Amino acid sequence: MNDEKKINIVLAGQGNAGKSAVFNYLTGLHQHIGNWAGKTIEKREGTLFFDGYTIDVLDLPGIYSLTTYSVEEVIAREYIIHQHPDFVINIIDSTNLERNLIFTLQLLELECPVIIALNMIDLAKKKGITIDFQKLQSLLNAPVVPTIASHGSGLTDIINKVIELKGKKSHHSIPKFGKEIENCISQLSLLLHDINLQNPERLVAIKLLEKDNDTIKSVQGKNPEILEKAKQLCENLEEIHGHDSSVVIADERSHLASQITREIIKITPHRKLSLNERLDAITTHKLTGYLVMILILGGMFLTVFSFGNWLSGWFDTIFKDWHSWWNNNIGITFFAALGWSAIESVLALVQIALPYILPFYIILYLLEDWGYISRISFLMDNLMHKMGIHGKGCISFIIGFGCNVPGCLSCRIMESKRERFITAVLVTLVPCSAVSVIVFGLVGKYVGLVWALGLYLLAMIVIFIAGKISSRFLLGEPVELIMPMPDYKTPQLKTIIYQTWDALKEFIYIAAPIVVISGVIIQAINLAGWMPAISSFLSPVTVTWLGLPAITGILLIFGILRKELILVMLAAYLGTANFSDVLSSQQMITLAVVSMFYIPCVATISVLWKEYGWKKAMAICILEILFALLLAGIVKRILDFVF
Amino acid sequence: MNNITVQTSLIDIEDGATAIIISITGGKMITKRLADLGLKSGTQIKVIRRTWFSGPVQIEVCGSRLVLGRGLASKIIVESK
Repeated sequence: MNDEKKINIVLAGQGNAGKSAVFNYLTGLHQHIGNWAGKTIEKREGTLFFDGYTIDVLDLPGIYSLTTYSVEEVIAREYIIHQHPDFVINIIDSTNLERNLIFTLQLLELECPVIIALNMIDLAKKKGITIDFQKLQSLLNAPVVPTIASHGSGLTDIINKVIELKGKKSHHSIPKFGKEIENCISQLSLLLHDINLQNPERLVAIKLLEKDNDTIKSVQGKNPEILEKAKQLCENLEEIHGHDSSVVIADERSHLASQITREIIKITPHRKLSLNERLDAITTHKLTGYLVMILILGGMFLTVFSFGNWLSGWFDTIFKDWHSWWNNNIGITFFAALGWSAIESVLALVQIALPYILPFYIILYLLEDWGYISRISFLMDNLMHKMGIHGKGCISFIIGFGCNVPGCLSCRIMESKRERFITAVLVTLVPCSAVSVIVFGLVGKYVGLVWALGLYLLAMIVIFIAGKISSRFLLGEPVELIMPMPDYKTPQLKTIIYQTWDALKEFIYIAAPIVVISGVIIQAINLAGWMPAISSFLSPVTVTWLGLPAITGILLIFGILRKELILVMLAAYLGTANFSDVLSSQQMITLAVVSMFYIPCVATISVLWKEYGWKKAMAICILEILFALLLAGIVKRILDFVF
Repeated sequence: MNNITVQTSLIDIEDGATAIIISITGGKMITKRLADLGLKSGTQIKVIRRTWFSGPVQIEVCGSRLVLGRGLASKIIVESK
């Protein structure tokens, strides 16, 4: 490939600025989603073929700053500094200009070629905001293109700009801070001029004033005298302002952003309350907010489960004859049976992914794109704090009700490692759709709906207590919620489809291999005829302690694959789907309690393993097995009095 | 009535009222993080609403809305008018 026709650009911007929409529009189906080396943070890359050019597009994680608070921010900064992309496209939310400009200023400090996409310009207009983008362009000394990414408008202009400016040397003249800070910067720059640095002098000078550790180390090796000077300047600043010098710089940048904003923005306030404000007032209100939340989430689960049951039933009729077809055509041998169990695992995966997880994701991303999900975090922050995490953790719980696998994966939105882990542990206790099949198919159907709902209540209480305990034992300060509250906007079908597809793909990649492999292993144990031995080995627990039939020992082992197998295999072993013939009400409730908590399914275990290491994954499994047995035993003994 | 200005914590500001940030009493990490979001001394903020029982606070700052956890909001000292 001709090098002149190859361009690489990165997309950078704050969350909710429409970065994903830009990325999806530009790259369409030419996307590749992986992880950053050694990190569990998603790396999205894609390619755009335009006018004979091959343009590689990298989507950096959505972040609020380039100073180093989180892993995402470090990744973004390092990438821009070390990989020298041809252009950084900074996507700005026009309705939140001032806050977004702070990030833009940080990008400009890196002295990389920046093109600014003034996104959601239509929403800004609706809010009565007019932006003089010509003036912004001259103030920032960087091209500014107004865009509406959700409609794709303006994005071709950006690519044209990229091609037009490629190879041309951009001269850096970035907006200046106040005199006092600029004075410090130029004093340091002068000294830095003499040593050979990889980064621009001005950037290094700013980083020294911010006391950035990496920068200090790199200068230390070359000329420690400069550090002395920097230290002295920092102390001066601290004396005058009464803050740490890094705070002084951050304040200064923020001031600069407000100053620029004042110069380019004109707001004509609407006298009437906008629809957005009214909707926000209702959905975050102390009373109606919670009511709306219950209605929306209730509606969501009802839709998913009724659709799921219908579709999964339809799949049952389709797959019904496949097993006998397999036996007739492949024969009944040891390996044929193993082969079948691999196929069966794949079919089972289809039967959980399509009917339950797919619609669940569609509705979830619809709510997110609309802007509602942040409202839930706002309303639930208080309760979540009692469990040692903050409001955003609630989202993982909601996802966990559909399936624990994406629930655990979504814990990545939590800022600190500690929060991520606590949230993931709690998510594994959330009854997923497979567990719901057991609760409703066994307890709901034969004992009564009230009992089934009671089990859900029990799950909530368990999660709450587990949260209290784990937040006490896992050391570290709880992170406070800082979250922008997006305006409501019309959801874009395209965005929802892309996000759903990404999430579904990730689920399949992680879950499929593990489910198939463990399905085959357990089947091999079964075919070797070891199951009766296992069930009698487990009988002190299942029969004596839990008062269940000995067969449940085997069911619980198969249940590790997928929880609903407990019910499916119970029917197969007993030769009847009328469970009330063989189990008492008390036994059904006990079995449901064990099934709810006893272990995360293999797919979830594999996520825990991948994200937190095998030690923590095993610890969670063992603790949950012990806990579930203890709890179910106690429940059984309490039920002895009831029934 | 005179225009008496009172310094309080952000969580004590009534829903719908406007205030100006005087100082942030948290550590430097949190102060920097807030500055990156446009919250610094001298910034005018409007409290949109709070939730029940020590929940978070929703504010409007530079035309955009932010939600701050209760503990964090209590570290922001403001002057109400």
